[in-house]
Amino acid sequence: MTNTVQYRPSLLAWFISLFSGIGGLIVKLLLLCVLNGITGWAIIVLFTQDRVGWALGTIAVLALIDFIYLVPNRFLPAKFIVPGSVLLIAYLIVPIFFTINTAFQQYSTGHVLTKSEAIETNIEQNVVQGDRFFQMTPARDASGELVLVLVDDTSGQTYLGRESGLEEIDPTTVTVDDFGDVLPPEGFTPLVGDELFAIDAELAAFEVPLDNGGVIRTEGLSGAYDSAPGFEYEQSTDALIATDTGVAYRDNGRGSFESADGEQLVVGWREYIGFENFTAVVTNPLVRQPFLRAFVWTIGFAGSTVLISFAIGLFLAKVIDKRNLRGKKFYRSMLVIPYAIPGFLSLLVFKGLLNDDYGLINKLLPFDPPWLFDPWWARLSVILVSVWLTTPYFLLVCMGALQSIPAELVEAARVDGAGRWQVFRKVTLPLLLVVVTPLLIASFAYNFNNFNNVYLLTGGGPSTDDQAVAGATDILISYTYKLAFESGKGQDYGLASAISIYIFFIVAAMSASGFLRSKALENMK
Amino acid sequence: MSDSANRRNDHWWRHLVLWVAICIAVLPPLYVVSAAFNADQTLSGSSLIPRSFTLENFKGLFVQKEGGAEVFFVRWFRASVIIAVLNAFFTVFIGALSAYAFSRFRFRGRRMGMLFLLLIQMFPGLLNLVAIYLIVLRTGEVVPALGLNKLTALLVVYLSGAMSVNLWLMKGFFDSIPTELDESARVDGATPSQIFWGVILPLAVPVLSVVGMFAFVGTLNEFITASVLLETVDNFTLPLGLQSYVGTNFEENWGSFASGVLIAQIPAIIGFVFVQKYIISGLTQGSVKG
Repeated sequence: MTNTVQYRPSLLAWFISLFSGIGGLIVKLLLLCVLNGITGWAIIVLFTQDRVGWALGTIAVLALIDFIYLVPNRFLPAKFIVPGSVLLIAYLIVPIFFTINTAFQQYSTGHVLTKSEAIETNIEQNVVQGDRFFQMTPARDASGELVLVLVDDTSGQTYLGRESGLEEIDPTTVTVDDFGDVLPPEGFTPLVGDELFAIDAELAAFEVPLDNGGVIRTEGLSGAYDSAPGFEYEQSTDALIATDTGVAYRDNGRGSFESADGEQLVVGWREYIGFENFTAVVTNPLVRQPFLRAFVWTIGFAGSTVLISFAIGLFLAKVIDKRNLRGKKFYRSMLVIPYAIPGFLSLLVFKGLLNDDYGLINKLLPFDPPWLFDPWWARLSVILVSVWLTTPYFLLVCMGALQSIPAELVEAARVDGAGRWQVFRKVTLPLLLVVVTPLLIASFAYNFNNFNNVYLLTGGGPSTDDQAVAGATDILISYTYKLAFESGKGQDYGLASAISIYIFFIVAAMSASGFLRSKALENMK
Repeated sequence: MSDSANRRNDHWWRHLVLWVAICIAVLPPLYVVSAAFNADQTLSGSSLIPRSFTLENFKGLFVQKEGGAEVFFVRWFRASVIIAVLNAFFTVFIGALSAYAFSRFRFRGRRMGMLFLLLIQMFPGLLNLVAIYLIVLRTGEVVPALGLNKLTALLVVYLSGAMSVNLWLMKGFFDSIPTELDESARVDGATPSQIFWGVILPLAVPVLSVVGMFAFVGTLNEFITASVLLETVDNFTLPLGLQSYVGTNFEENWGSFASGVLIAQIPAIIGFVFVQKYIISGLTQGSVKG
C-alpha cells in the first residue's frame, strides 16, 4: 500500500554502519598509528641487531603502506586488499615458496648445514689422536690464569700449556712426586680439592693450540693428550684431504664430500640437485615402493570413504524422505550429530573406543579384533571412522538434492509402469548425480589430504616389516609429514617437499574437474 | 482410514533402520558423556553406562588435586576462546575488505589474483609449517609478541588465510547485492569506504556471520599449527591441552579428557546460538524490490 520500505537494520548492521564516515576514519588512523608504532619499534630493534637490510626493507614496506592509506582517493583497491595481502604473503606465500625451493634441494638428515658449516664440522669432528700423552696438573699463574703443567709420558719433556699456546720449560723446575702427581714450578699454584672440581667443565673444554693445527686436550683431572685434525680443507681443489692417508674427498655436487672410491663423509650440506627429488619417486626403489603403496592406499581410502558415506547417506535420506513419516526432524538432527562434533575430538574418542584391551567396542563384541594393530584391521578402522565422520554431510546433501528432483518425473516413470528400483536407478540416481558429483569430487579431494583421520587414529601405523617410512595406513600427506618431521628412519625434507608438490598437482587437477563440472552445469541451465 | 493405517505399517522398517543408524551415530558421543561422569578415571574402567556417577572429573579440571599436577584447563579455555573470537573478527574484517575490492573494483590483476588465491589453497599446507616455524622464530627475535609460544603469533598465522579461504564465498554474496545501491549512495556523495561500511557490510551480515562462525569454530578445533608454535603447557589452546591428557598416557586420564571434551563444546554451541538469528535474516530482499 505504502511506498516507503520499512527498513529495520539489525543491531549488528546498525553498529557496522557507524564506521561509515568519521568514525571509520578515526579507527583507520588509530590502526595506522598502532601499526607505525609497532613497526617503528621493530625497525629500531633491527638496527640495534645489525640487520640493516631487514630494517631498510621493513621501512620500505611500512612507507608503502602509509603512502597507500594516506593519499586520498587513489589506490582504492589496494586500500582494501593490503591488510589481507600482507599476512597472506608473510605466512602463506613465503612458506609455499620455501617448500618449492626445498623440493629442488638435497635437504635431509646429514644435509642440513650450509657448505662452510659442513666443512668446519667435518674438520672438528674428525680428530686423529696423536701419539703423545702427558701427565698434567692444572695450576694458576701469578695473574690467576689457568695453565696446564704437562710432563710428556715418554720423553719426560715438560711444558706449560696456555690457551695461547704451548711453551717448553726446563724439566728440572718440575717435580713428579711419589704418587705420580706433577708439582708445578715456582710461581704457579696447583689446583687441588674443591677448587679443582669446581673448574671441571672449564678444564674439559680447555684446549692448548699446537703449531701443526692440532690441540692438546685434557683427559680427566691429571692427564692430557695431543690430537690433530683428521682433515684439511684445500681451497684450490675444494676438497677435504685426510691428513693421515692423504685421500681427497671432493665436493660431489650433491651436498657431500666424496672420495675417489665413493666413500662419503657423514656431514654434508644442503645443495641444489635439480629434479632428483621428483624423479626419485620413479627411479629410487626405496622411495618408489612406499610412495606407490601410500598412493594406492590414499586413493582406496578416499574413494571408499566417499562412496560408502555417499551410499549410506543416500540410503538414509531415501528412508527419511517419506511424506508422512513421523519424527523426520528428530531423525535428521540426531543423525547429523557426528558432523557437529569437532573431527579431531571424535578421532581421539574413537582411538579410545577401538583400543585393543580396554576399548568399549571390544567389550561389546564377542571377539576381539586387533583394530589398530593389524594392517588390514587398521585400514578398516580408518575407513569406518572416516565414514562415520562423513556420512552426515552426504545425508544432508542428499536430502536437499532429493527434494530438488521434480516429482512429476518420478510420477511419469511410475505411470509408465516402472518399479521402485527402476525409478530410482533410471530417474532419481542420474538426476541426483548431476547435482552431487562436484561435491563427491570435492569430498574426495578433501579426504585425499585428510591427515587427521589417519594420523590421530593410527599414526599411519602399524608399520610394515620393511624399512619404509610409510606404515600400513599412511596416506600420501601423512607419509610426507613423517618424511619431513619424524626422525628415526632419517628425515628427508627435500623429498617431502617434492611429494607435497605432487599432491598439489593431483588435488588441483581434481578440484579443476569438479569446478568445471559445476560451471558446465550452470551453463546448461 | 485403512489406507493411512496401512501406510503406518509400511513405515515400521524405516523407523527401525533410522534407529539403528542413530545408535551408531550417537554411540561415541554418549560414551564420552558417560566417561565424563564415570567415577573410574581410566579407559579400562569406562563403560557405556557409568557404574557410579561423579562430578570429580569436572572438578579435577578446575581444582588442583593435592599433590597432583598443576591444572591449566581454565587457561587453555580462556586462550582458545580469546583467540577464536579475535580470529573470527579479523577474518571477517579482512575477508570482507578483500571481497569488496574484488567484487566492486576493476583493477589490473583482478582475475589472476582471484585464481591465484583459489590455487594456493590447494597447496598442502602441512609442510609450510617448517617455514612458518622459522619465520615466527626469527620474528620473535625482533618483536617478541610475534615469536614462538605466543598466542598473538598463532593468531597472526591463522589470519594469513583470512583473505583467501572465504574470498569466493564472500565475493559471491557481495556480487548478489545490487550495484544500484552503491550507485545511489555514490550519487549522494558517499566515498567507497562509506559505501563499504554503510551499505555493503550491513547488508552482508548473513554471510559475515557464517564466515565468522566457521572461523570461530575452526579456531577452537585447530590443532596442528598450534602444536608447532606453542611450546609450554601453560600456553596451550584447548585442543592441545585435551590432546596432552591422552597423548602420552591414554589409559589414565580418560575421565579428565572426556569431561574436558564436553566443556570444550560449549563455546561453539554458544557461538552458534548467538549467530543463528543473523544467518536467518536475509536483509537483501527487503532493501531493493521490483
